[in-house]
Amino acid sequence: MTSYPKEMQESIARVEATRPARLSTKFPRLSLQEQETLLKGFHPDYRPEGKRRLRVGPSWGEAVPHELADLLEAYPLLDPKAVDVSRPDVDVDVLVIGGGGAGTVAAIWAHASGIPAERILIATKLRHGDSNSIMAQGGIQAADKPHDSPAIHYLDVLGGGHFTNDPKLVRALVEDAPEIIRWHEDLGVMYDKEPDGTMVEIHGGGTSRKRMHSCKDYTGLEIMRVLRDEARSRGIPVLEFSPAVELLTDHGGQVVGAVLWNLETGEYTVVWAKATVLATGGWGRLHIQGFPTTNHYGATADGVVLAYRVGAKLRDLDAVQYHPTGAAYPDQLVGLLITEKVRGMDAQPLNRLGEPFVHPLEPRDVESAAFIRECLPPEKGGRGLGILTPTGMVGVWLDTPMVDILHGKGTFQRALSSIYRMYIRFDIDPTREPILVYPTLHYQNGGVVIDEHGWTGIPGLFAAGEVEGGVHGKNRLMGNSLLDYNVFGRRAGIAAAGWARLASPGTPTLAHVERYVHELRSAGVPPERKAPLLLPEYRGEKALARMVDLL
Amino acid sequence: MKTIAYFPGCALKDQARADETGTLGALARLGYEIREIPRWNCCGTVFSLVQDDLMRHVGPVRNLLRVQAMEEEKVLTLCAMCYGTLARSAHFVEDPERLRRINAFLDPDAYQGGVEVIHLLTLLRDEVGYERLAAETRRPLNGLRVAPYYGCVLLRPRPFAVDDPDSPAAMERVVEALGGTAVPFPERTECCGTHLTVTRKDVVEERVGRILRSARGGGADALVVTCPLCHFNLEERRPAGTPDLPVLYLGQLLAWAMGEDDPGVASLVGRAAVSSEAVR
Amino acid sequence: MNEVTVFIMGKGYRVPAGLTIMKAMEYAGYRLTRGCGCRGGYCGACATVYRLKGDYKLYGDLACQTTVQDGMYIAQLPFTPAERPAYRLEELQARGETLLALFPELARCVACNTCTKACPQKLEVMDAVQAALRGDIPGVADLTFDCVSCGLCTMRCPAEISHHHVWQLARRLNGAYLTPRAPHVAQRVEEVRAGKFKGELDRLVAMPKEGLVAAYKARDIEP
Repeated sequence: MTSYPKEMQESIARVEATRPARLSTKFPRLSLQEQETLLKGFHPDYRPEGKRRLRVGPSWGEAVPHELADLLEAYPLLDPKAVDVSRPDVDVDVLVIGGGGAGTVAAIWAHASGIPAERILIATKLRHGDSNSIMAQGGIQAADKPHDSPAIHYLDVLGGGHFTNDPKLVRALVEDAPEIIRWHEDLGVMYDKEPDGTMVEIHGGGTSRKRMHSCKDYTGLEIMRVLRDEARSRGIPVLEFSPAVELLTDHGGQVVGAVLWNLETGEYTVVWAKATVLATGGWGRLHIQGFPTTNHYGATADGVVLAYRVGAKLRDLDAVQYHPTGAAYPDQLVGLLITEKVRGMDAQPLNRLGEPFVHPLEPRDVESAAFIRECLPPEKGGRGLGILTPTGMVGVWLDTPMVDILHGKGTFQRALSSIYRMYIRFDIDPTREPILVYPTLHYQNGGVVIDEHGWTGIPGLFAAGEVEGGVHGKNRLMGNSLLDYNVFGRRAGIAAAGWARLASPGTPTLAHVERYVHELRSAGVPPERKAPLLLPEYRGEKALARMVDLL
Repeated sequence: MKTIAYFPGCALKDQARADETGTLGALARLGYEIREIPRWNCCGTVFSLVQDDLMRHVGPVRNLLRVQAMEEEKVLTLCAMCYGTLARSAHFVEDPERLRRINAFLDPDAYQGGVEVIHLLTLLRDEVGYERLAAETRRPLNGLRVAPYYGCVLLRPRPFAVDDPDSPAAMERVVEALGGTAVPFPERTECCGTHLTVTRKDVVEERVGRILRSARGGGADALVVTCPLCHFNLEERRPAGTPDLPVLYLGQLLAWAMGEDDPGVASLVGRAAVSSEAVR
Repeated sequence: MNEVTVFIMGKGYRVPAGLTIMKAMEYAGYRLTRGCGCRGGYCGACATVYRLKGDYKLYGDLACQTTVQDGMYIAQLPFTPAERPAYRLEELQARGETLLALFPELARCVACNTCTKACPQKLEVMDAVQAALRGDIPGVADLTFDCVSCGLCTMRCPAEISHHHVWQLARRLNGAYLTPRAPHVAQRVEEVRAGKFKGELDRLVAMPKEGLVAAYKARDIEP
């Protein structure tokens, strides 16, 4: 069984030839200095033409990718004059914007902190649970083994983030981690365990201890669906297909709700809320620098745009996480995530000649840079040793058959069943043939500035999950995003409940939007640019060219 | 060791687990290697909601198909209800046209026909034999007075009755072989009413009361059944004032006699021993 | 360019061969809201049914994971209504009859196996229903672990079972009550509460970058 074309098969023969010798060896790790050189030379973040400095807003002067700058320097999608926000359609204590992991955890903890279910609302753009959270494969970190400690976890996170992280956020992350895992056990998350209950834990890129907990390679799915079920058990209302298109503020600049827009009927809904939790996730669908992405359909940075308009500060948005192993072949799978767990289980990255060229578990940005260097042609400073596909993609091999060879037949199918299923559909058997990978846009490292309670510094506005920044600095380690949304979703939910009890909101308005529009005009932003994006544009060019809006 | 495919059925894997363990242990002592069907579904008895006479057979025939895949010719059940359902479907698809229609639903698999369905009682009678049963008995029942209750599905409808529907004798012979005293009674082939056990408890209670009074009237110390559903009803659907007659599953008697543990039988046989000594 | 004809909701479009159903719909001019989620085979939002020319069968699959074929007739399922009874996990017991008590329609299964044939994840769905019927909670949890709740089995089930809700409850019961807790997790939670790591973390939070870099370099790495 193989669907690889002949040229690729020739390279596979080389992979097979070098395999026996590679089984007992590993490419050495790079020093910090070598990592830095590699990053500067080959990581897309270090290409100055990919970014520009913001000309408006509270983070004026900071460089972000053009794709995000185009959304921050953009006029409101919703004309503030076209809607009446002086009367609420829904009036709640806590509004959670986003129905992925962070939003669901925040809602659960707001409820657990005493806010009645009917005084909470989760508003989400797609379905409850459709999110990057559900797609995470590899695992979640927590320092809960005797030879590990939150302090060691702390150092790993900081080093992975090149020491740019916010220390108090990292501390919250590592200190809450064991309790999150125990909470998940209470909720019935089926973690991979030994028969006596001991967690099965492995390494992730950049970890110094084996602390990656997983649920096969459906870790994100398993945790997300349990959380969603728990929210349903608690009766927390959810409004689906209803993205927030603008926040509401009172005269004092306090956030007091949001305007939602029904994706199907076009109707708007005004939600008044005493506290608002922003949990809208990341930006993968902006396709920064043209990269494919692992992200779900709705990952369009809406929350960053909304928060920025009410005055929230942003950080580290110059740092884009490219996951080293996105699928590069076949065409139908391009960009999809191949979990780091595959490398954690000893599959090696190899070039066209079947040679290893980097340690399998460097931090993600370093690993990605190494892949790019291997593939770039010599005239662009690379080594030209990538494998070309018939549709013009390029990639390096990930020697997946090593998993079963080193860990026993059947391991791959058991521990990595989603990856196995993904490839077998296209007649590629990853237990017998290597798979082709290339970096893919994976995570928004930075985001809205928060404190350790998930507060954005704007009264009434909290943020959790991928939309916030500071936890991971300029580079996140594997297994810390699931942890992030649980830790800060919980903290934000509790803080929002506390705020809602004491808040005295004024009359909701869209005055901040009008002020922002004024600022945009002064900066000379072209009027046709609108945000939030809500959904990426994937319609065929031919169809779009002939499309007219008549009804 | 003789291998035999085994279909447990839902009741034996949930409420009536106790009926299974000892029985299988005893059969192992009699030289049978029990091969539980690796994938099986409900025998099909709950499919009465199906409105045509075809779909109700898809599930049972699927179980026969799985026996076929094990390359076994016979399948053993411990439950009379499962026996009735599976045997009826096995009979139904003896007609090639019906088999063709059922196989359309089993696509891409196909059942070839020919798997024989047997119940514990027929296994003991036809394959082990009363003589061997008596010879292998390590702990005789000490003359315990046992009333064999057949219920309905082992004996009706006639084409797949395991014994003469009007005057069955197999269970009496088994009880005697194990060292007990069989106590025949008029209600031994009456239905316990299990199909109404949820919706019309009153109907079931009336029947259960009648059956137990009749057995007690014959002088029995215990009633023995061939089905976990009868077992349930005869214990849980007793109306007030019903004689306090213990109910045992056939496999429990077998298990005890073959040397397996069974606390239910142990206490009864102990008492029987005492009473027979007193008589002596 | 190699093209095929597909029929989306009954209307024919020429699209490039090799596209997934989802990308073919977008190519044809559809802007998806329903029927599109993670685009990677995890969320189950894009359940799609289709027929092929000259074939009597109705197939089901995920639009984001299935390549178009010439002559394919495609319809997406925007949503699968499914009944989820009200329960709180902490009020339930992980006993065999719990599943049947909350989902009595399980007992209507006629073992027709249509659910199994409908599953895009190739799960043994009917075996899971049967396991649920006999109260085998770990069996259900194991058989359904890879379920993405797309609802295709539910749409085709003549017994009207709401499969993914049954599975969800079984997995939670299994995880919470039938699997031993990790003793080292409980112990670490207690240690954190007792402040065992407080001093060390205080020190690290206050440490200037040079010290942190040195400490990071000096880490010993578990083999």
